Amino acid sequence: MNNRIRVLRAEHDWSQAEVADRLGVARQTVVALEAGKYAPSLPLAFKISKLFGKPVEEIFDAESAT
Amino acid sequence: MKSSNPVTVASRKYLVEMALCMGAYVAVLVPAIWLLDRGGLTGPLKFAVAAAPVVPVVFVFLALLRYFGRTDEFERRMLLESLGLAGLITALLAATYGFLENAGLPHLSAWFTWAAFMVSWLIGRLIVSRYYGT
Repeated sequence: MNNRIRVLRAEHDWSQAEVADRLGVARQTVVALEAGKYAPSLPLAFKISKLFGKPVEEIFDAESAT
Repeated sequence: MKSSNPVTVASRKYLVEMALCMGAYVAVLVPAIWLLDRGGLTGPLKFAVAAAPVVPVVFVFLALLRYFGRTDEFERRMLLESLGLAGLITALLAATYGFLENAGLPHLSAWFTWAAFMVSWLIGRLIVSRYYGT
């Protein structure tokens, strides 16, 4: 599922490890999320939304969902 | 400073628990082999002593289950998918060799299935990691 996590992370000047710690997940999880290889659960999607202060639909591209 | 990331904490706890379980495994296996080699055991007691090393192995699996509950959702998925692939690969290998036994290959110990599962799990993990690009 395509998303804007990499862009939002760059805007905040956070590393993948920092985002992982803020979300309470492994760095490899952030890698897979950014690559669009892994679609997060609803609770994690809302955590990401809260972290970047953007609604879920502005972060994730529903059209690319598989 | 120790990381407070829940996934790092889960990995650390898993390693500690695994080390304890492996220590317990050796502590049970060595006397079990010694007792069996010494001879004199018969009936159910002999079987109980021979199977005793399975108890710490059960604790290894419990440690894995606890890790499963503590780690994050993506690691959980990769773990499940790699275990699933390992099961399929092992089943395929076991069935293939079973048929080859009909053609004259020697009958193998059940231990080979265990070894095949462990190697297949590693292969499954590599396939899953590659798929997700991690």
